[in-house]
Amino acid sequence: MQNPLARVRGAGSSGEGSHHWRSQRYSALILLLLTPWVLMTGVSLAGADYPTAIATMSSPFNAGMAIMLAGSLFYHIQLGLQVVIEDYIHIAILEFALLLIVRFACIVAFLISAIAALQLALGA
Amino acid sequence: MVIGRKRVVAATSEFDFREKGQQTMSSSKRPMSPYMLGPYYKFQITSVLSILNRLTGVFMSVVTAPLLLCWLVALASGDEAFMGLSTWLGSILGKLVIAASVFSFSFHLFGGIRHLIWDAGWMLEISQVRASGWIAVIASLLLSLAVLGAGL
Repeated sequence: MQNPLARVRGAGSSGEGSHHWRSQRYSALILLLLTPWVLMTGVSLAGADYPTAIATMSSPFNAGMAIMLAGSLFYHIQLGLQVVIEDYIHIAILEFALLLIVRFACIVAFLISAIAALQLALGA
Repeated sequence: MVIGRKRVVAATSEFDFREKGQQTMSSSKRPMSPYMLGPYYKFQITSVLSILNRLTGVFMSVVTAPLLLCWLVALASGDEAFMGLSTWLGSILGKLVIAASVFSFSFHLFGGIRHLIWDAGWMLEISQVRASGWIAVIASLLLSLAVLGAGL
């Protein structure tokens, strides 16, 4: 999928070859691997009170999984919304603005979740 | 000629492509790609699941993921914020959002697995695509009910 010829030709009309396509699949695979943890943790924390939720999220394992989930989830969201915007928004300036906003929002969302998860794990 | 033209205009408004050679077809009413849903196109499990995968993905991007973020931030912010969010999640609207999120998650999960299988080059015969589509529908309904049942 990454033939040296692609680099010479400018990697196709997208300018980045199959990078977006592969990233979407890799992030999907990571999310798939995280699914059992998401389901178990989600069900066990459904309707949980504050001390129970704190106890669960303060374990290093759960904090690590939460940060991993936030990273792959918001990356996957950015890639997915990008395709939807590119497919349906045909006003160039609006498309550009939306793509920037989605990118920015996903990075900020990841940073906030990572900091919150670390704060819970470190008990600060 | 007038009758012929009228016929073409009527056909255009119904997205009918039988009059492809006619000049009127280049009007702005002409869709950019075949409209695969609604009364214009025969029901097919493939096209319905395709758009559902996209819709559930967008729904989770706009509603479910921000909600998860809010939950984590509320937990890190303290008892009061967490109890406030918990109370809202226990309301009818909160329960609706959770149920929609669980259904979206399940649909997108099995829809995504289907895509990954295709990307590996497997199950691409149309009969297999239809079969895996129905399997995905049933599996996602079962998973949704199991998760919602276990979480109640």
